[in-house]
Amino acid sequence: MTEITRRAALRGGAGLLAVPALIQAANAQSGFNWRRFAGERIEVSLTANPRSQILIQNQREFEDLTGIRVGSEQIPEQQHRQKFVIEYASGRPSFDVISISLHVNKRQVGRAKWTMDLKPLLADPTMTAPDFDFQDFGAGAVAYSTQADGRMDTLPEFTDYFILYYNKEIFQRANAQLPKTYDELYELAKRLTDARAGQFGFVGRGLRNANVVLYTSFLLGTQQRDCVDANMRLMTDTPDAIWAGEMYKKLLRETAPPGVAGFNWNECQTTFAQGRAAMWLDGVGFATPLEDPQRSRVAGKVGYAVVPAGPAHHHCCLFGTGLGISAASNERKRGAAWLYLQWAVNKTNQLRFLTSGAGAPARESPYRNEEAIRASRFGRDYFETLIASGRIARPGLPEIVPVTEFRDTLGAGLTNMIGGADVAAELKRATDAFRPVLEQSERAS
Amino acid sequence: MPTGVAQEMTEAAALRGAAADSARRRRAYARRYWPFVVPAAAVVLAVIVFPWAFTLWMSLQEWKIGGGRSFVGLANYQRLLTDDRFHWSILRTLYFTALAVVIPVVLGVAAALVFHRRFPLRGLARTVFILPMMATPVAVALVWTMMFHPQLGVLNWILTQFGIPPSMWVYDANTVIPTLVMVEVWHWTPLVMLLVLGGLASLPVDPYEAAKIDGATGWQAFRYITLPLLMPFIMVAVVIRTIDALKAFDTIYVITQGGPGTASETINIFLYLTAFAYYNMGYASAVVVVFFVLIVGLALLLLWSRERFKDAVR
Amino acid sequence: MRKILDRIGLAIAVFFFVSPAALVFLWMLSLSLKTEIDNIAFPPVFIPNPPTLDNFRAVFERNDFLNQALNSILVSFGATGIALLVGIPAGYGIAKMRATRAAVLILIARITPGLSYLIPLFLLFQWVGLTGTLWPILITHLVLTVPIAVWVMIGFFESLPAELEEAALVDGATIWQAFRHVAMPLARPGITVATILAFIFSWNNFIFAMVLAGRETRTLPVAVNNMLTFEQIAWGPLSAAALLVTLPVLVLTLVAQKQIVAGLTQGGVKGA
Repeated sequence: MTEITRRAALRGGAGLLAVPALIQAANAQSGFNWRRFAGERIEVSLTANPRSQILIQNQREFEDLTGIRVGSEQIPEQQHRQKFVIEYASGRPSFDVISISLHVNKRQVGRAKWTMDLKPLLADPTMTAPDFDFQDFGAGAVAYSTQADGRMDTLPEFTDYFILYYNKEIFQRANAQLPKTYDELYELAKRLTDARAGQFGFVGRGLRNANVVLYTSFLLGTQQRDCVDANMRLMTDTPDAIWAGEMYKKLLRETAPPGVAGFNWNECQTTFAQGRAAMWLDGVGFATPLEDPQRSRVAGKVGYAVVPAGPAHHHCCLFGTGLGISAASNERKRGAAWLYLQWAVNKTNQLRFLTSGAGAPARESPYRNEEAIRASRFGRDYFETLIASGRIARPGLPEIVPVTEFRDTLGAGLTNMIGGADVAAELKRATDAFRPVLEQSERAS
Repeated sequence: MPTGVAQEMTEAAALRGAAADSARRRRAYARRYWPFVVPAAAVVLAVIVFPWAFTLWMSLQEWKIGGGRSFVGLANYQRLLTDDRFHWSILRTLYFTALAVVIPVVLGVAAALVFHRRFPLRGLARTVFILPMMATPVAVALVWTMMFHPQLGVLNWILTQFGIPPSMWVYDANTVIPTLVMVEVWHWTPLVMLLVLGGLASLPVDPYEAAKIDGATGWQAFRYITLPLLMPFIMVAVVIRTIDALKAFDTIYVITQGGPGTASETINIFLYLTAFAYYNMGYASAVVVVFFVLIVGLALLLLWSRERFKDAVR
Repeated sequence: MRKILDRIGLAIAVFFFVSPAALVFLWMLSLSLKTEIDNIAFPPVFIPNPPTLDNFRAVFERNDFLNQALNSILVSFGATGIALLVGIPAGYGIAKMRATRAAVLILIARITPGLSYLIPLFLLFQWVGLTGTLWPILITHLVLTVPIAVWVMIGFFESLPAELEEAALVDGATIWQAFRHVAMPLARPGITVATILAFIFSWNNFIFAMVLAGRETRTLPVAVNNMLTFEQIAWGPLSAAALLVTLPVLVLTLVAQKQIVAGLTQGGVKGA
């Protein structure tokens, strides 16, 4: 995966500079008609994040290439998830292209068949540009985008892993080594915590709902690994689940700043960016703001590492986003939307994601682009962490329909633990509360 | 005597007749004013009464967005009876409402007494004081969120300057509701102040002069003259505050989304999550109906007290 | 001596009441003029040094801010206008008829949380096919503005002396003329209150547009909340946007301070 070919590097490098020209040249060679839907207008609804920002900033490229006009917007993810579901359920979505958080909405979207199967389009040479190179997408990302019935109703856009951010300065001062296991992480975090000086060993999400993915990071390292078994039965009150809960409780209670029970990623980021936390476990996308001296006091001092191992396994949480096409849109719009999808996840845009630190692309070629990586303002350990994380990634949330309800129910219990509540009792309560919801939902599908 | 009785009887009949006549006249008189109400009635029927009826019907359905819909009778209501999360949300709403009524009313009365006096730059001070009432809650809520950060927020910095230990504000289950109340107080004390200020302006002068002659202290004059006279105005403030506190959503949603845990999950937040995060429309509708019944009961109570106090004023 | 103590006490009281309001707005202004690193600094940086307009620039660059401002203006003015148009006569009619039941209905409508209208109205708009336009937002805002306008006006018309209108009626005016030329001018302070309250409720409303608005129909409060981007803290632009949204109502308050205070204090008891 890390091996580079000179050709790939050159292609990527050139792509960075002159994309439209390159694609048009490719056009001329292959005879692929990018302009067959010229004059069409499509609406694109994205989750607000740095990836979407890149797509929106560069969408002129697509408009110039195809003659299709794009109206795109990005909305905060919480509202976005709620809104697109409601719009799809109404039968008249206001958008043709949608970005879907697979870890939250995959099953729901798949069950209702709100987005169209993309496999026939991929197989159609009149619709898919010859240089699209679908083989370039990681097998894991493709599997994540594919439903149980074999339909691929989204195109992988990017994958997100939980990684360990650490403050190199604090580590150096304390002569600390990177923790290999969660137990080591806890010991180290305790050693690095000096509440009086306003320094904390660890910071991570404590807010209900958001906190579940930190908890499952620990759970992934246990024997059972997942929240549900193969028959979709809940396993969140087992001894393994309790071990993860205890880890969550003691880390956040003893080594994180007071008030962490209300922290989402943004409070964690503020704390870490102020140099007040030695370690932070969260998604890969935070490198950009952390390395920006305009926004962060720790720019240039941030270390990146793969998450530690648990007692039985070594995994990091995997999340993913895919782009889908509304099945309810008319045929021309669906065609235009498919061209947009091809452009959005082309090699150039995917490389832009990686080199700007906006996240881990779903394609593999950007990681091989040594030249671009060297030119990036992020350290080598960042890219190595991404590649290594990709090898041990495993879905961080169960593939069920009522994900939000699951996260709210379990998350409330986790928050209570930070307040001192008994781990086993809280997990039991949350599990009992959510089990009937899950059973009902599974019966329905 | 018989003539007297007869006379009395005719008088009584005449009185009765007059009463009936006046009632008839009043009805006839009232009928003439119906056209004034028709446009508003149409709007109210379409956007207010229709949703009520629809919600009632929906509450009898099991319906998840993206799934099927089926009639389930009262099953949603049965589930509400045993749903601890819902029960807690009611208690939290009442807790929040009680604080968010009492504190602004007390502070608002005090502020009105201050702003009723004359002092330099009173106009400017008063304008600044009523600005929060006009400010967009969502916008201000986002700014509050930054101010509440337990380690880096400006509020804790101010506290430490005064030697007060930092607070966890919305980041702790015990302080979250009082903190949200604080935001509510900040927003709505000005309204109470304005209502009471109107009351102060309308107070008669005579009782004070009498009290001065009797040698009453300032506090006594306030306690025994001002306060009773202000009571109707204060009641109105209580009514408005109760209504708005029960409805509070924007600030809570933006600042905490019901957290930490479920510590600030009021009925409104629970309702929002059930409908638009869990997509459980039938169950959410049942929540609306129950909430609605609570509110109608309260409305009648408030209306009754308003009428009573209005009579007392006249 | 007592007088001096009294003065000092008054000054402290005024300071106590005014400073929280001033502090929050000044802090908002400060955040919007500072760089991101100063915004998360601790101890806090109060005076922007040097002040930057980048945050405001970011707001106008990133969001379709002007379009959203236009949406907000159309919706708020529309919802307020319609509310006054139907609300003033309705308040008059109800007051004249002493229609207590109608008044109760309006009160209940005023009390019911806006959230509870959202589900049925949303489905209604889907069926009628109005989504994607500004109409759903304007119509849902009527849920807020009509009850408040009617309710305020009932109180005002109830308190007006009936003699003047009766004199007009005796002189041969129709009831419409009596309403238009006698009652309405007398109730002008009430109309001011109703207008201000309806406008503020509509302008500040967040939840309706959050659920109902699409890309081109978004209003400003939603636009501000949309400044929250995953993985990026942008307190500066956020504060700048927050300030811009609140600015119109703040300016309105500063300009019309006298009328607002007069209208609200006068309308107080009746307006509840």
